[in-house]
Amino acid sequence: MNDLILFIAVGCLTASQVLQKLGAQRRLSETKSARQWIAALLAPELIGAALTIAIGTLLWLYVLYEMDVSRAFPFLSLGSVAVVAVSRIFLGEHVSLYRWVGVLLITVGLTLVAQS
Amino acid sequence: MSAASKRSFGIVLLTSSIVLSAVGQLCMKAGMQGLRESPVALEATWSALRMLQEPLLFAAGGLLAYAISMLAWLAVLVRYPLSYAYPFLSLSYVLVYLGATHWSRLMETATPLRTAGTLLILLGVILVSRTEWPRGSKGVPGPGRT
Repeated sequence: MNDLILFIAVGCLTASQVLQKLGAQRRLSETKSARQWIAALLAPELIGAALTIAIGTLLWLYVLYEMDVSRAFPFLSLGSVAVVAVSRIFLGEHVSLYRWVGVLLITVGLTLVAQS
Repeated sequence: MSAASKRSFGIVLLTSSIVLSAVGQLCMKAGMQGLRESPVALEATWSALRMLQEPLLFAAGGLLAYAISMLAWLAVLVRYPLSYAYPFLSLSYVLVYLGATHWSRLMETATPLRTAGTLLILLGVILVSRTEWPRGSKGVPGPGRT
């Protein structure tokens, strides 16, 4: 059960990054003033991004109560890989081999940091 | 803005997002730790509230830094591809680790395994940083070196 919640948490946090990117691209890049920029924060993509990051963070905090950090953290760090994967699949970004290797190193590093 | 100043503004934004999120985490931790260590945390009277002023300020300041880091992050995403910028956020773990082990308020113990992990993260970010940089006008990232 906790594994499932953790999985959903990572999914929400990853989805939030995609929504933030879409929102930034579609709504923020054309703004001319700080005022317009702030108004654009209410765009559907960015509201969705805020909701998913809030749900993801709450679920993550819940899991942290139930589960050892050293076990939960590697899942979260897989989120880095997930974000790069969805950037490629849904945003059409080019991801070179070096970038994949870099992200994998980061994931392993994060896993090590969480071990006591 | 010229292409060069656009690029350096992007780097400033990326750096602010990373540093502020680490500062936010560290201050929230120091603030909450101060609250927890205080013997009067719950039955706080006015004088106790005054005693708690500093930890509360840290916790609130931490939250504020965190919020600003999220806005800076959105501005980063206007300028960089997600798969390029996102790995840089892991640098905040490195900063949090350095802060948590060196800041006199926290002073957590460093372990060889964690230090090794931190170095791996650093290496990974360096690799990613060498893959591509944003080019072109209007903040739209163009094809760079890959």
